[in-house]
Amino acid sequence: MENSTKILEQQITQDLLPKKFGKRGMAWTGLLLLICLIGGYAYYRQLRNGLVVTAMRDYVSWGIYISNFVFFVAISLVGSLITAIFRLSNVKWSTPLTRIAEIIAVSAIVMASLIIIVDMGRPERFYNLFFHGRIQSPIMWDVIVIATYFCISILLLYFPLLPDLKILIKNKDKTGPGLNKLYRFQGSFWKGTKEQFRISNKSINILCILIIPVAFSIHTVTSWLFATTYRPGWDSTNFGAYFISGAFLVGAGGVVVAMYIFRRYYHLEKYITELHFEKMGRIVVLLALLYLYFNVNEYLVPAFKMKKSEEAHLVELFTGEFSVMFWFAIMVGMIIPIIILLFKKGRKPLPMFIAGAMIVVGAWFKRYLIVTPTLLHPFLPMQDVPLSYKHYFPSWEEWAIAMGSLAAALLIITFFARVYPIIPIEETIMEQNEQNEKDEE
Amino acid sequence: MKNNNSLFIFLLISMSFSLQTVMAQEKASPGKTIVNLRYYNTNNSLQYLVLQSQLKKEGQITPIKGKIYDIFLDKSDPANLIARVTTDKNGKANTVIPPTLKSAWEATPQHIFMVKEGSEEIISDYTINKAKITIDTTTTDSIHSISASVQKWEDGKWIPAAGVEMKLGIKRLGGVLPAGDDESYTTDSSGTVTAELKKQNMPGDIKGNYTLSAQVEDNELFGNILAEKVVPWGTTLQPDKSFFNKRTLWSTGIHAPFWLLFMAFGIIVGVWSTMIYLIFQIVKIKKIGLQKSA
Repeated sequence: MENSTKILEQQITQDLLPKKFGKRGMAWTGLLLLICLIGGYAYYRQLRNGLVVTAMRDYVSWGIYISNFVFFVAISLVGSLITAIFRLSNVKWSTPLTRIAEIIAVSAIVMASLIIIVDMGRPERFYNLFFHGRIQSPIMWDVIVIATYFCISILLLYFPLLPDLKILIKNKDKTGPGLNKLYRFQGSFWKGTKEQFRISNKSINILCILIIPVAFSIHTVTSWLFATTYRPGWDSTNFGAYFISGAFLVGAGGVVVAMYIFRRYYHLEKYITELHFEKMGRIVVLLALLYLYFNVNEYLVPAFKMKKSEEAHLVELFTGEFSVMFWFAIMVGMIIPIIILLFKKGRKPLPMFIAGAMIVVGAWFKRYLIVTPTLLHPFLPMQDVPLSYKHYFPSWEEWAIAMGSLAAALLIITFFARVYPIIPIEETIMEQNEQNEKDEE
Repeated sequence: MKNNNSLFIFLLISMSFSLQTVMAQEKASPGKTIVNLRYYNTNNSLQYLVLQSQLKKEGQITPIKGKIYDIFLDKSDPANLIARVTTDKNGKANTVIPPTLKSAWEATPQHIFMVKEGSEEIISDYTINKAKITIDTTTTDSIHSISASVQKWEDGKWIPAAGVEMKLGIKRLGGVLPAGDDESYTTDSSGTVTAELKKQNMPGDIKGNYTLSAQVEDNELFGNILAEKVVPWGTTLQPDKSFFNKRTLWSTGIHAPFWLLFMAFGIIVGVWSTMIYLIFQIVKIKKIGLQKSA
């Protein structure tokens, strides 16, 4: 009996230890690095020449960077959903997904903080935000809450990693001496004593409770950046809930995509099973329906009234310049995934992956639609301004920086998966042992 | 009938070819440079010229930046050079009439301005008669009236200029507000226009002053003339200090409302103290581990 448990443990450890990049991994990392470099060069041009290299002008002063920021903040919320909400609800099946969700959250929040600095014309003056910041401004709340959420997410990533670090140190021959130094620095003190487990579990529970209101705050405050401004399309009391529901949806979509890719390329079929896709599919369809409901509230109610001030904005979205993107975001980001996931066959890995990818892509465009069209419809008419002020299409530098930031987020996840086990080893072993004991009874 | 159709098709094809040829020529043409010169006289004390250079190409007009022009007074001699100017990003360049040309300027009532680009003469006949505007105001039974007179310089004296179109207005931040009922007025035989002020209780500055303006725009004889006069006809501006130094949502950071400070810092302290506690838990875990190793 003890022998078979040991074999099982060895097998799980073997399967879940981080693996070196293969040819495909190297190509993927190289591609991401290349995109990041192009983005870096574009940012150098922006620093040298100023924000004039962007297509942002007096009217559209929040363009693709802020859309990207809202997208990153949204996707980062998934850490609190999968890790905290599921853990507190005693959902056991989510164990293999917790670390995937947490690293998505950390990488997204890191890039959200960076992209907001990219949006600044004079980033060297960033410190003024702390010296002369006004606590009355939602921008200040956003800075505080992002920093807080980042620290909580790091802690939530670190605590469950401690037992795995011990396993990684033990398997020095497989992980290599360089990484072993890192593991030892981070967790050589973890001996797996009862007291250590007790403190760690208590800390994780506290973090799970703490991260939920902070996660809700981060996205509510981001929505308030818009909703506290009296402008068509933003002047809404629905915005907090609308943003949160959208964030949970895109986060869950992101996890589904990551689940599929890790499962396929790390051969984790035994750990991320079809059951996980089935359960995540149900959650995603629920979140998509919820977000669709808020979208109906957000667009249909103002469209029914068609107030003069809102009319130009809504018409532009429904049938005007942004209509193709708007209907694409609604159809691809919500309706088609709902149709796919409502059916049992649609909740299989591949259709789930397709639906998840659609949700993420649709969500990115949705954020663009929330930010930009409103700025093109100020209450005062646009007079005597150059033509470029009346339209907005990002310059190549903006595209390169935005894509570079997305690539950098993926790069963080890729490097993390190279260094640490993407599925918690210790927790998987413990759950497997518990399951075996139950089966024997 | 068949012949008619053939003729129609032939004409259609010929026309389309001609049209294409014309369009191609227009596309291929480098475009036409348009140069305008305008004379301005403000309060009869500052005379200056504004040159504008634009390119007309394919039906669009765009300003030309960085072009150099020479502007002359009366003769295109180096001695009569007013200035060598370079156009800015709006295709515009300004210059005042320099003191070196004072005697030439005062010698005659009428002057011709000339513009040359290199050796090519662009403008040779922009003629201006010297003129000025004076503003008089009267108040009878609390009704304010504005009289503005246009006078031209002729035979060594100022004489009234009749039939000149002029605008009377009140200067505001965003532009000039018409002072009377009409947008513009035409001077009578005495060179004068009179309008009753229709805008009562207009906000003035801290003393209740605002500025009246009388303006002649793009007149073919006199160019652009402007006269201004400050009058105490406005209501006194009372800066709203009711919120100054008070704790409001729109004050500086240091004057944030107490309730907001309490809420914000309460949350920040609550969350961060929990996080510091958790960091101490890591230290505790570390100590236990080190003890075990020892």
